[in-house]
Amino acid sequence: MSRKVCIIGGATTPFDYGPTGFESIEGGAAECIRETQQDVPEFSLRDLDLMIYSHFSVHFGHQLAPEWIIHDHLGLVGLPHYRVENGGNTGGSALYAAALAIMSGQHNVVGITGWETMDSVSQSQGSEFIAMASDIRYELMVGGIYPIYYAAMANKWMKENKVTEEDVATISVKNKNNAMDNPKAQWYRNEHRYITVDDVMNSRLISYPIKKYDCSLMSRGVAFLLVCSEEYAKKVNPDHYVTVDGMGLSSCTIRAGDRLNNPGWSKRYGPGYPGMTEFAACRCSAEQAYKMAGINDPLKDIDFGEIHDAFSTSEAQIYKALGLADEHTIAKFIRDERTSLQGDIPMNPGGGLLGYGHPVGATGLMSTIECYYQLAGMIPQKHLSRKTEVSDPECGIVNSHAGTGTSISNFILRRH
Amino acid sequence: MVETVVVKNKKEKFADIPVFSEKKEYRPYGVQETGLAFVGHEISEDRSSMNQFLHYDQLYTIRHGWNSKFFIGLLDGKIMGTRCPKCGDSWVPVRTHCWNLNCNLQKTEWMEMPLTAKVHTWTVAGWSGRSSLKRLPIILVYANIGTSKVAMANELHGLDPWDVEFGMPLKIVFKPKEQRIGAVNDFHFEPADSWEPLPMNPEKERIKKLVEPVYEWVKTLK
Repeated sequence: MSRKVCIIGGATTPFDYGPTGFESIEGGAAECIRETQQDVPEFSLRDLDLMIYSHFSVHFGHQLAPEWIIHDHLGLVGLPHYRVENGGNTGGSALYAAALAIMSGQHNVVGITGWETMDSVSQSQGSEFIAMASDIRYELMVGGIYPIYYAAMANKWMKENKVTEEDVATISVKNKNNAMDNPKAQWYRNEHRYITVDDVMNSRLISYPIKKYDCSLMSRGVAFLLVCSEEYAKKVNPDHYVTVDGMGLSSCTIRAGDRLNNPGWSKRYGPGYPGMTEFAACRCSAEQAYKMAGINDPLKDIDFGEIHDAFSTSEAQIYKALGLADEHTIAKFIRDERTSLQGDIPMNPGGGLLGYGHPVGATGLMSTIECYYQLAGMIPQKHLSRKTEVSDPECGIVNSHAGTGTSISNFILRRH
Repeated sequence: MVETVVVKNKKEKFADIPVFSEKKEYRPYGVQETGLAFVGHEISEDRSSMNQFLHYDQLYTIRHGWNSKFFIGLLDGKIMGTRCPKCGDSWVPVRTHCWNLNCNLQKTEWMEMPLTAKVHTWTVAGWSGRSSLKRLPIILVYANIGTSKVAMANELHGLDPWDVEFGMPLKIVFKPKEQRIGAVNDFHFEPADSWEPLPMNPEKERIKKLVEPVYEWVKTLK
C-alpha cells in the first residue's frame, strides 16, 4: 500500500489583469510561500525536497524555462525541480505528479508553484495563443478559439439535456457573486459587482450560446501549494491538514470532432459516448478517484467542490460527468440550485474560474487551495465573511480541465 | 563522396527525401521577421513600476511530411481523407495510422472524399482570435465530410447566422485556385442546393438579437 498524500497549506497572489504593481512571477511566488508560512509557521523552505512548477504557455511569458528564474530567486539551488505542462489541467497534473512523488516514497515535502501572465499580450492575441493548444493545422485558421469550440459542444449538449441559456447563466451568477466575498478574486478586484441572470443574458455574444459573462477571466496570478507525507503533516501542521484520498487523470482527443465514433471510448462506455458533448475524460478520471477514495454516491459522499468552470456551460457539463445528475435530472439539478452555498453540494464557493480568475498554470492550484481552506476551517480568515464557508465539510472534490476536455483530473480531499 | 551515399541510404530506409521544386510566397504586406527587439517602455508616475515592450516575430516551417497529401489536395480543390485497410474506418482530418488499437497502428491509405458534408454541431461566434475579428460573425460548424467517422471544423457561409441547423446537408466550396494557400481556409461549407431554412422561431430571434451588435462592432474595426 502506498503512502498517504497530505496538503498542509497554500496561497495565491491576488488574481488580476493589467497593471497592479506586483507583476514579477518570482516575487509573486515568494509572497505565496511567505503567506503559507504565516499559516504554517513550522514549515521551512529547507524542508522541501522537490519543487514542481506548473505553467502552461511560454508564449505568455516571453521566456523559455521561466521556472528556473523562480527557483533561483527562492534560494532553492540544489533542490530538484521540473515543470509540468498539460494545458488547462496543468495545475491538476502538477498535483498528480506531486502526489506520485510522495506515494512512491522518493519525496516527503513537495512544493508546487504555478503561474500564468496572460496580460502580456492583448485579449484577442491571448485567445489566439491559447488556441495554439488546439490543432493549429485544422482549427485555428477557421476562426477557432476555445470559447467557440466550447460553444459548439455546449450548444448540442444543452439541447440534448434540455438545459437553457438562463439555466447556465445561474452558474455564472453564483460563481461571480461568490467571488465578491473573496478579496483575491479578480471579479472582486476589477468588475466588483453582484450580477443577475439578466446581466449574463444581456452581455455581448462570444459564441452562441456563450456570452461574455459565461466566460472565465484571462488573468495574471501565482499560486503555491504544499504537499507532503502524513508524517511531515503531523509534525508541522497536525490540526489543519487534509488527505488526498482519491485521484484520477484521463485524456481525450485534441480535436473535439474526433470524439465521434472513437473506438477507445466505444469500448469503455458503449457506442455514441461521449459524442461531441460529454467530457469522457472527466467521467473516467472521476471514476478512478471515486474508486480510490471509496466514494459510492458522489452526491451523498462529497460535500462540495472547486471545479473547472472555464465557461458556465462547462460547469454544467462537469456536473453530469461527475455523476451528480443524468440526462433526465440535470436541468432540474441546476434549477434547484443544488450547487449554491445553500444547496446540498456547493460548487466553487471560492468563485471558480468565472470569479477568481484563470491564470492557467495557477488555476488548478487555486481550486485545490480553496478546497483545502474549506476543509481546514480557514475560510473565515481567508474570505471576507463566513457567507462563502461550506457548513462543516468533510470531503471535497477538485477538478482541473484542459483543451476541449482533452486532459482532466479529479481529486478527492478529506479533512483529517 | 562515399560518406554522402551512406547517409542518403540510411534516410531512404524510412522515407524518400523530398526535393522542393514548386515554391510560392504570399506574405502579407508588412510581415517580417525581426527576431527579438525591445521597442519601447513606460514608467509609472511615482517611478515604482516599469513596463517594457518586446517584439518577437518568427518564421516557422510547418513540415507536413506524411500528412502533406491533405494540404496539397486543398490546392487542387480536393478533400483527401485516409482509410484503414483493416477496419475500414476513414477520416478527415486525416490519420496516417489507424486509431483502433486492434489494428495496431496500421498505416492508412489515401482516398478522395466527396465534396459533401453534414452538420454535427454549430455555433455562431461574435468574438474570435486576432486574425479572425474582421470576419465576424462567423458560423463555425463541425461536420462529417463524406464517409469520415469524425467531424471537422470549418466556417459555414451563404446563410444568415440564425438559420444554421443541426443535421443540415452541406457542400464544400473552394476559393478560386489562385487564392488557395494549402490551408483549411482554402474551403468553407455552404448549405446544399436542396436545403431551405426553417421559418423564424424564438431561438432564431434570440440569435439574431445577439448577432446584430456584432455586425455594427466589426464596422468600427480598422
